[in-house]
Amino acid sequence: MILEVIILGTFKMYGEFSRKSFQRAAAYRFDAWTRIIGNVMFLFMWGFIWYGLYHGKGEVEGVSFQAMLSYILISQALQGLHGAGTPLWEIQERVRTGDIAMEMLRPYDYPTRMLFSDFGSITFYFMTAIVPLYTVLFLVLKPVVPTSFSQGGLFVVSAILGYLIRYCIELTFGLFTFWLVETGGVEDIFYFAISLFSGSVIPLWFFPGWLEQVAGYLPFQGIFFVPNSIFVGQLTGQAVWDALLSQVIWLLICYAILRFVWAKASMKIVIQGG
Amino acid sequence: MGLIEVNHLSKHYQIAKRQEGLGGALRSLFHREYMTKMAVQDISFAVNRGEVVGYIGPNGAGKSTTIKMLTGILVPTSGEIRVNGIIPFKERQKNARQIGVVFGQRTQLWWDLPTIESFELLKQVFEVPDQRYRQNMATFSDILGLGEFLYTPVRQLSLGQRMRADIAASLLHDPVILFLDEPTIGLDVVAKERMRTFIKEINRERGVTVILTTHDMSDIEKLCQRMILIDKGRVMYDGELAKIKERFGKERVLIVDLEGEATDFSIAGAAVIKQEGNRMWLRFSRDEVTASQLINQISEKYEIKDVTIKDPEIDVMIRHIYEKGMDGQADYQQE
Ligand SMILES: Nc1ncnc2c1ncn2[C@@H]1O[C@H](COP(=O)(O)OP(=O)(O)O)[C@@H](O)[C@H]1O
Ligand SMILES: [Mg+2]
Repeated sequence: MILEVIILGTFKMYGEFSRKSFQRAAAYRFDAWTRIIGNVMFLFMWGFIWYGLYHGKGEVEGVSFQAMLSYILISQALQGLHGAGTPLWEIQERVRTGDIAMEMLRPYDYPTRMLFSDFGSITFYFMTAIVPLYTVLFLVLKPVVPTSFSQGGLFVVSAILGYLIRYCIELTFGLFTFWLVETGGVEDIFYFAISLFSGSVIPLWFFPGWLEQVAGYLPFQGIFFVPNSIFVGQLTGQAVWDALLSQVIWLLICYAILRFVWAKASMKIVIQGG
Repeated sequence: MGLIEVNHLSKHYQIAKRQEGLGGALRSLFHREYMTKMAVQDISFAVNRGEVVGYIGPNGAGKSTTIKMLTGILVPTSGEIRVNGIIPFKERQKNARQIGVVFGQRTQLWWDLPTIESFELLKQVFEVPDQRYRQNMATFSDILGLGEFLYTPVRQLSLGQRMRADIAASLLHDPVILFLDEPTIGLDVVAKERMRTFIKEINRERGVTVILTTHDMSDIEKLCQRMILIDKGRVMYDGELAKIKERFGKERVLIVDLEGEATDFSIAGAAVIKQEGNRMWLRFSRDEVTASQLINQISEKYEIKDVTIKDPEIDVMIRHIYEKGMDGQADYQQE
């Protein structure tokens, strides 16, 4: 009973961060809508590139153009959602200005409260930009979509796992700012890895064998490649479950690393004053 | 037992030495040299419930470092702190619930949202009961005039408004102690005055114990019965402001405007500390000579056009203590 009250109270508190973040996103809706324009521009760019590459070919590596189009669409939609969360530079900025140290004066866990804040802004973006836009795009372009309820459900689960993996990695990279004078390099590595190894624009099945293998051993593929592949039906049957399991394992590893780095960062704040 | 007890508190920062050139940068990857910065050195004091204590010192004296240790976000290098029985860094979150903190140079409010939203968020974070929240908001709106900007986004507030909002935010959960790090920094005279009135009122009406840091002496004069003066991480003085005035306030400056040039000006019992044309600044001590005696002496030799007597400025006294210590000869220069 008491435990229930505590859990409910804690959830209410973190939930308030989501609400406030949602409100903030609403206050900055113009910003969200300009972002979606950029998102659509990239969508068309990749659409035309793949259209060109597919020209005259029915299938490449056993993947039809319709499936590829679907891959790009869902990938852009997910990337749009991820982009509504706290970006890396902002985390770096909070470390640099010492604002992050001030959060230690509050009776909550910083990484958790950040996650809930991101939920709020992502929900806003999801409802007001991604859903209306991509509903229209899917209706007009008629790409491949999940054919069963379970495929759709597994895609959603995988997409959420993917977001959480990204969240852990991005915050961890942001926290590296505590130990670095120059953070441009960290940013470059992060964005390079995210754009190449996550399968955000090029599905890993088009990678040369060795590179596909490298990507397979990294956590980034769990961010976009796995959910996208489930969505377009390239992963089916047992392979879906294997992929989900690998996402869960990567999430646990990334979360453990985040907790470790956060513990070190907190130590640094309280010993060295940030 | 004081509400806050600080015993032999020290904080030394390790600063990595930046090495020159590419070679240095490479070397520092493997081996770094550290420099120790002694920000706070062997500080002790106790604060009783209901006091308003001014923690004053020049930039870099160690004020913020002390406040950070008292709030628990910084671990002391040595020494002990107890805040209402709690060791802050060991039980940071428990401590956070009984203290309010405002750092003048940063805000705890959500920049992009109307001010009221941050208050609501803090209500949730500190689990303030609805009724208590409403009462507090009513009181703070009343004395701080929050009403006029509650629905304005924080980024559009003036510095004075933002400080008022910040201080209200820090008090929503009814803390026993309020730590204010430079609460008046950057404010204009009116805003400063308003802030001081509020701090006084909070202390009187709610019995909140206040520790505020400042480098503005008038904050202390208007607010604090007691001040702790620190410099280079050490306590130079801890006590009533009145005592300082008594100790150093004996020294005054007589400014005389003479008719015509004064050559070889000298008067027994006073020292010339400055001369600008026909205007002379004479320093004297109340114990040795009275102002009227001085004026009489001068008028015997010269023609006086005008005189003014300046009380020693508190800033000057403080500077004197910084330079010479409490026991040093009071031979400061008055500007
Ligand atoms: N995190 C830090 N690392 C190294 N030195 C610091 C750090 N924070 C403060 N200092 C140094 O410690 C001294 C005291 O700083 P601070 O407590 O901020 O002074 P004040 O608040 O009185 O201006 C200064 O010399 C400052 O440069
Ligand atoms: Mg300071």
